[in-house]
Amino acid sequence: MIHFDNVTKRYQTGLDALSELSFEVAPGEVVFVTGHSGAGKSTLLKLVSLAERPTRGRITINQRDLGRVRRGGIPQHRRGIGMVFQDHRLLVDRSVFDNVALPLLIAGTARAEIGKRVRAALDKVGLLAREKASPVALSTGEQQRVGIARALVAKPPLILADEPTGNLDPQLSLEIMNLFVEFGAVGTTVLIATHDLLLLKHMRKRVLVLDHGRLVDDYRPEAVA
Amino acid sequence: MSAQARPVARPPAEEPRERRPRERMPLRERLAAWRDQHFYGLFSSLGRMALRPWSSLLTVCVLGFALALPLLFWLSYDNARALTTGMREAREVTVFLQPALDEAAAAALAAELRQRADVAAVTIRTPAQGLAEFRALSGFEDALAALGENPLPSVLVVMPASTTRPDAAGLLQALEADARVDLVQYDAVWRRKLSGILRLGARLVAVVSALLALATLLVIGNTVRMDIQARSAEISVMQTIGASNGFIRRPFLYAGFWYGVLGGLAALLLVAAVELALAGPIRALADSYAQPLRLRGIDLRVAAVLLGASSLLGGLGAWLVTTRHLLAGRPQ
Repeated sequence: MIHFDNVTKRYQTGLDALSELSFEVAPGEVVFVTGHSGAGKSTLLKLVSLAERPTRGRITINQRDLGRVRRGGIPQHRRGIGMVFQDHRLLVDRSVFDNVALPLLIAGTARAEIGKRVRAALDKVGLLAREKASPVALSTGEQQRVGIARALVAKPPLILADEPTGNLDPQLSLEIMNLFVEFGAVGTTVLIATHDLLLLKHMRKRVLVLDHGRLVDDYRPEAVA
Repeated sequence: MSAQARPVARPPAEEPRERRPRERMPLRERLAAWRDQHFYGLFSSLGRMALRPWSSLLTVCVLGFALALPLLFWLSYDNARALTTGMREAREVTVFLQPALDEAAAAALAAELRQRADVAAVTIRTPAQGLAEFRALSGFEDALAALGENPLPSVLVVMPASTTRPDAAGLLQALEADARVDLVQYDAVWRRKLSGILRLGARLVAVVSALLALATLLVIGNTVRMDIQARSAEISVMQTIGASNGFIRRPFLYAGFWYGVLGGLAALLLVAAVELALAGPIRALADSYAQPLRLRGIDLRVAAVLLGASSLLGGLGAWLVTTRHLLAGRPQ
């Protein structure tokens, strides 16, 4: 699903955010990316969503070479990715329903279909009753779950989450992470950047550990067990 | 992990663009979705304006004045043109005779002139007729009565023979050379001046329209620009979740369109109010001239042209600023 081949990202400041990074993620896999802050977690996700381009190396997503995606193709590429942010980035002037419907509206889905899929997504995150609420009326955990519903509503093959539990307490964090694991179980590839080591231990999933832009560990619990 | 630094160059630019198999929906569904998106854009942008009623109203008023001005100029020009159509077609030469000449001498000159090949007709207006006419039109009846004797000369109204081209140079020369003639007034000269003034008026309307169209463009552009700034966070979220530039631009284009339409309607209202305010005095003036003078107002065609132009200007203004924003503020 995701294939990094000797990827290096050097920012214009001369900083090497990622150095010669190579790894592969299979379809339906749930993978955590961790490391100290500045280790390159966010840069890695940005390269996948084409918010940044690699300085060297090749990235393939779904057998598609990202180097060949031109600027005009970026929106189309991003529609195949569900994005979850630490600060959830909901539009506060719209209802929960409209927020979740946004990716479908962008993709040009028929109206009847939008209603069905938005409710299914909200149901999955347990917020079906709050569809008419404004995002500001929700708790932080609920807001993050709306963000997740928005990421999964278009049924993308890949979900990227950047510190999705950064603002949540351990109990809520665990709930959120379990949601992501569920998506993996139905075939969605999930890539989650987090520095919550305790949570990682609990999840027993594959973990890519970055240190100063280099991959220092690729931990697979199944292999160990 | 590979320690080898193997630089992989990006593919050269001439490589063909890779086509991704799009999710293919049936045409009818895609059309329906497209229609839905546009309806959504059309009405959500209107709703957004309603959220800030005062600032929207202010913008619409500014636009209304900017659009009403050229329209009023045009109306004045149109009325002036309609009013002077009769005057511009007049071809007669008015010949004022020496005051000393009596009516018999005037009749003799008229008979002389009728003999000429380049004269079609001659009408005599005696001093008495002139006085009666003057009295009826000017309302100076009492002053004229106090005058005692009639100061007006006899007047001959000469109609040149050539109808195709009113070239009456020879006739004019002969008339001016005649000792019995005091003054020759040929309307063609005055007519040329009038045409010149009307042409200037038309140019003035065009220039003022162009300037105020530019003002309309700027006002709408600036309003939409402020709207974009207020929503830049939203735009960046949309971009990160895969919205195309067209999708992001659409609500702003519709907002510009609405500003144009509402500004155009405001302008029409303003012009209608001006017409209403002027209708009374103009009717009184027309009555005093005993002329069927009617104010030519805005008809449906002019209203449609104005609304079309203003909505187009609105869309264009919005397009310019959104394009600039999308180029300047590309997603990082």
